[in-house]
Amino acid sequence: MFFDFHVHGDSDLALEAQRLGYNGVAIIQSSKNYNPQKSKEIKEIRDDFNIWSGVEIYAKNPEDLKKKIGKYREKEDVIIVNGGNLKINRAACEDPRIDILAHPYKNRKDSGINHILAKKASENEVAIELSLQPLIKTRFSLRAKLLSQFRQIINLHRKFGFPTIISSNAYSTYDLRSPKDIIALAYCFEMTKEEVENSLSKNQANIIDKNKIRKDIVVKGARIIR
Amino acid sequence: MKLKILPPTLRNDKRYLSFEAISEIPLNRDDIISLVWESSLNFHGECKTSKFDLWIMKVWNIKSMDKNIIKGIIQCNRNEVNSVRAAILLISKFRGKPVVFHTLGISGTIKSAIKNFIKLEN
Repeated sequence: MFFDFHVHGDSDLALEAQRLGYNGVAIIQSSKNYNPQKSKEIKEIRDDFNIWSGVEIYAKNPEDLKKKIGKYREKEDVIIVNGGNLKINRAACEDPRIDILAHPYKNRKDSGINHILAKKASENEVAIELSLQPLIKTRFSLRAKLLSQFRQIINLHRKFGFPTIISSNAYSTYDLRSPKDIIALAYCFEMTKEEVENSLSKNQANIIDKNKIRKDIVVKGARIIR
Repeated sequence: MKLKILPPTLRNDKRYLSFEAISEIPLNRDDIISLVWESSLNFHGECKTSKFDLWIMKVWNIKSMDKNIIKGIIQCNRNEVNSVRAAILLISKFRGKPVVFHTLGISGTIKSAIKNFIKLEN
């Protein structure tokens, strides 16, 4: 079972993903031009292939982020935060309502995650996303820098145990890659077999399972049984 | 004088990697060779690429309505299959237009690669 939880676009991409061997995708809309109608349409397609809808939140500051999470959490299956800014990264790691923090290393020299954020992320089960699209699009020194940032995140993941997710961040069918190829690529930056498989399938399944019972959760570890 | 070929026991073990390339502009065999080599040299460097024993065996043009699809077979060293897969995954552009390579499967012989993965019609 393989999932891709960061795909922009429409049903064409979902069809191509199905052909490549994925079992489900989450089609993500940007919070900048969010259209509730589209999210409804996405939810209606679901038949043999799992399609979830989600939103990628672009926030200016932590307060803005909190406001937007409150707005989208009930409506959408997957909530992704566009990382890169240190304050946003920190606020995202501290909020259990968030599913995924996407590319915390964006436009940065370091990985955007340190031991403090890593601890918070593992407490709140916020997954950190390693995005393939910039790796495919860049070259030479920029690609080398990206790979070193990936390695830093994986090192922290081994120490603190927050979930990691590998996703394509695809805008067109040319950005999608088959899951087995991605596994081969991940071996090149020294991820173990278990780590790659978790970040392509198990962690995504956990997010969906968690979101099904999210309404009943009172505090971490306690929920109302109806 | 031509060198006598090595006995099979002394040759490197190899695997055949079937791939498909989808592109906006038509590709030929030479383009595929240069794309694969360039990507491998960029990503792994000269030293590691020398271990791969890369060789593009054969390519086929597949008729399609709107996209240019090419299927083909790459020969590579048995121990380096994952590295070659990663190198061809990272190919993204050809003359400014998008192109994508997907690995279809890995096999031990050319015959089985064609039968199981290339699946030529008629």
